[in-house]
Amino acid sequence: MSGYRIFARKELSEIVRTWRIWVLPAIILFFAISGPLLARFTPEIVGALAGSQLGQIELPTPTYFDAYTGWIKNLSQITLFALIIIYGGIVSAETKSGTAILVLTKPVSRRAFVIVKAVIHSLFLTILLVLGTLVTWALTAVTFGEAPGGALWSAALVWLVYGVLFMALMTLFSVLISSAAGAAGAGIGAYVLLSIASIWKPLSEYTPAGLPGQAASLAAHATTPSSLWPIVTSIALSIALAALAALLFRRKEL
Amino acid sequence: MTAAIRAVGLTKSYGKKHALDGVHLSVEEGSIFGFLGPNGAGKTTMLRLMTGLARPTAGSIEVLGRDVAEAGNAVRAEIGFLPDVPAFYEWMTAEHFLRFAGGLFGLSGSLLTERTGMLLDLAGLNGVTTKIGGYSRGMKQRLGVAQALINAPRLLLLDEPTSALDPMGRKDVLDMIVSLRGRTTVFFSTHILGDVERVCDSVAILDHGRVAAQASITELKQRYGKQKVVIEVTDGADALVATIADRAWAASVARAPHGSIEITVTDVAAAQREIPALVSARGLGLVRMDAGELGLEEVFVELVGGGAS
Repeated sequence: MSGYRIFARKELSEIVRTWRIWVLPAIILFFAISGPLLARFTPEIVGALAGSQLGQIELPTPTYFDAYTGWIKNLSQITLFALIIIYGGIVSAETKSGTAILVLTKPVSRRAFVIVKAVIHSLFLTILLVLGTLVTWALTAVTFGEAPGGALWSAALVWLVYGVLFMALMTLFSVLISSAAGAAGAGIGAYVLLSIASIWKPLSEYTPAGLPGQAASLAAHATTPSSLWPIVTSIALSIALAALAALLFRRKEL
Repeated sequence: MTAAIRAVGLTKSYGKKHALDGVHLSVEEGSIFGFLGPNGAGKTTMLRLMTGLARPTAGSIEVLGRDVAEAGNAVRAEIGFLPDVPAFYEWMTAEHFLRFAGGLFGLSGSLLTERTGMLLDLAGLNGVTTKIGGYSRGMKQRLGVAQALINAPRLLLLDEPTSALDPMGRKDVLDMIVSLRGRTTVFFSTHILGDVERVCDSVAILDHGRVAAQASITELKQRYGKQKVVIEVTDGADALVATIADRAWAASVARAPHGSIEITVTDVAAAQREIPALVSARGLGLVRMDAGELGLEEVFVELVGGGAS
């Protein structure tokens, strides 16, 4: 058990002491700050840029729901792409550089090596999401004068399940594919497939493919079917993917 | 004596290529064992199998009496390993890495602090606060040796431990290995024959994935090494070479600088008896005559032929 604890502490230190503490947090913070401001001032910005070209067209008055949907949209697109790219080498970077050899010839199981990475980085993503959502919430309250929390937090939590699923998926891809870029490519492929799958209603209602749409609907306070099934299947799939990654890594030659 | 390492018919193939081909090897507990071989002979593959980083295609390997693949952490807790090119977390300092490595073995508190300090001294890295990313290859190699010792291992596996070190660093590492004699089994792969001759009790020579020989160094020299006689004469060495080459006990004769002649002999006693007479018969003066064993290098070259690096 001490192997798990010590290796987890090393992963946390690595996040704090390397580029990892800057890249994903900066991306999330950027969207957390810019989202509410853009939502609030978009009519003014468009009006100023378009001038008289808008004619009779009147842009609707923005609401705090626009800030919320902007936040979820940015999480589901650019932030998720960044996550896929950053975590393409979550395991392979260590096997390729040779650092894994010094760790795995000590009393640390390969299962611990993989599971600790998936768990610690999911935890890191959770912390970033909570902080980003807090910033969005506060700025929405400041810019719009009101910001009920329910829609925002429920949407963010639904997205978090999707984010953790991709963390598990990238862990698996990083075990299977020795190149970080190759694993990232496979991750983007999975993203595209899930996006296409979400078009078909049964898949959207019962599988992870429905999560981004559900999160966006919750943020917009639109009527949505229950998120329970997509959440349950996503959590189950995340656990299965991480377990499969651990199993395959155990059989891998280093 | 029990065997710290026992390989039986160990084979590792990559496609059609056999990196190891039916290796039989036994390393006595407490000994310092040199694993010699030219580049590409399969030394690193052998160490990967011993540490469980790779699995055998056929045969078996036991480390400290246990099957590596089955025992897992139980075996790893008792070994220290230095890979040929050790890679570290570059954002750590040497002290941080040693503490991390010790923690993985379950060490903590004053024992970990004491051992970390001692090994930093050994590696010459005490007081170095630079991150490992800024280290030279030699510094990394010394830190690699230190981290392999953090758990006071029963078996120390070293892959080319002196290859990146300067003469002083090499001497320090070899002295450290000698100091472990009797307490820790040391298995180290190398192609530096002088290192093996200096510190090892026993040696195995690997060639094209097969063990060409395994024995104590003395036994190996006796078994494979013909003896050598070097003579120095006052003049006319060239003519004497032809005369000596005709003798039955002369396996080979070669001219060396300054009028010397090197003779590889199959019967040193006969050579010692007859050489002075041959020199005298030609009216030459015998300046010097030395008889001795062949070095490990010559045994190595004899066993692995021109493939040696």
